[in-house]
Amino acid sequence: MVAVDDLSFRLDQGSVTGFLGPNGAGKTTTLRMLLGLVRPTSGSALVFGRRYREDAEPARRVGAVLEAADFHPGRSGRDHLIMLALAAGLPIARSDEVLGLVQLTQAGRRRVGTYSLGMRQRLGIAAALLRRPELLILDEPANGLDPEGVHWLRTFVRDFATAGGSVLISSHVLAEVAQTVDNVVIIDKGRLVTIAGLEELSDGVARKVRVRARRIRTLLPLLAAGGFEATMLDGDELLVRGASPEQIAELAAGSEIVLHELVQESPTLENVFLELTSASTR
Amino acid sequence: MSAQLRSELRKLRTTRTNLGLLLGLVALILFGVIAGSFGSESDMASAQDQRELVGNGGFAAVFAALLGVMAMTSEFRHGTIRTTFVFTPARTRVVIAKVFACFLVGIGFGALGAGLALGTGALMIRTRGYEVLLDSGDVRRLLLGTIVMAALWAALGVGIGAVLRNQVPALVGLFAWLFVVEILLFQHVPEVARYAPAAAGTAMTGDSVGDSSVNLLSAPAGGALLALYAGASVLAGVLVTNGRDVT
Repeated sequence: MVAVDDLSFRLDQGSVTGFLGPNGAGKTTTLRMLLGLVRPTSGSALVFGRRYREDAEPARRVGAVLEAADFHPGRSGRDHLIMLALAAGLPIARSDEVLGLVQLTQAGRRRVGTYSLGMRQRLGIAAALLRRPELLILDEPANGLDPEGVHWLRTFVRDFATAGGSVLISSHVLAEVAQTVDNVVIIDKGRLVTIAGLEELSDGVARKVRVRARRIRTLLPLLAAGGFEATMLDGDELLVRGASPEQIAELAAGSEIVLHELVQESPTLENVFLELTSASTR
Repeated sequence: MSAQLRSELRKLRTTRTNLGLLLGLVALILFGVIAGSFGSESDMASAQDQRELVGNGGFAAVFAALLGVMAMTSEFRHGTIRTTFVFTPARTRVVIAKVFACFLVGIGFGALGAGLALGTGALMIRTRGYEVLLDSGDVRRLLLGTIVMAALWAALGVGIGAVLRNQVPALVGLFAWLFVVEILLFQHVPEVARYAPAAAGTAMTGDSVGDSSVNLLSAPAGGALLALYAGASVLAGVLVTNGRDVT
């Protein structure tokens, strides 16, 4: 089974990119290949143009949070950061700095086993920040976070990008990151589905118009004749694909049908996402 | 390398695991020496009996091996290995730094174990009303032998942990080897058993194994052989760690 195949995308400085796809699409495998944890069966994974494992350069420029549970429960948060700072040749003071950045100074000397999920997530981010990275990689960071934690994460990510950093956030739920990201990279079954700005994303998807009228059934043959696809909804409502509200209104006026409601339905991002990823399944 | 070594040493002293090992070592040696001095089989009158009593210091090697195995496997168990490798992508450097760190702590375990066994042993022998018959050669060999043995076992343990990754099988395997396989080897094929790792290590301390009818190797040969085992284990650990994915 091929987990990831021929996938390439670029991240702009100062931007936040959502790395999206359904569960099992290959997001985590991609990130682990980029970080040198998993070796591709063939080919190579490059970040900043280099293989992570064979060059000291990417490690200095990338910070990553892979799983919120990657701590020894018996070690204090501060000691976790210190052991990493030492490995990176950084002074211990830098650990205290990043601990402050994620507001864990108070809890720093407590054992991680006593931390809430949100605190662990922040500790992971603190570790990723130690080396002042240019690129921050977060794998499903919002999983299991409470609303307060999600809000903190959003603000943090935006601030990091505003300060000139790039962020890559993976998620299987578009809505989770829609408020945070500028661009999306959508993959499915290990292949690229689309790369787009958040606003462009819905452009490619057929718009739908909802119509309500008293003699709605008389509209059906007219729409069919015009080549539009229409579906009856409950009672006196129709859903029309491919037609603009103007076209529908003209058709109705020609047959003296009184319209009670004519609504352009803008597809929700989640629907676009589902449509894009299910399309590639076929 | 020194940066990674400092990181690894920090890891070793920031969980309670290794403090627990240290306390366990002290308790076991105290128990072994005190209980042993009242044993019915030996009456503490001969130098041989007395050497066996202070030989309890050799437990330091078992605890050093545990330290080494757990230093590696706990990173896989708790997932910190991912963060470790993201920070230090050169995996050989990580394994070697862990080996050095555990080797250093192993020296400490060995010194503490041998020192404690000698001190308590001498005290118990006098308490029983006998003269201490150990000469300075015995003492030097026990101290030096235990220190080298414990340090090498710590390194060997890191290699085992790196190859197996999974903590429970690694620990079960280690115990099964030390307390079942090597003992069976001594019972059935003693001429082969002298070359097994625990026997090679014991050859350094001047202690005996089993009914002491088997001649162990000379101290230098035993040390060299155990070092060879440790080296092979570390090499296997480096190869496996570099070759296998971390998921």
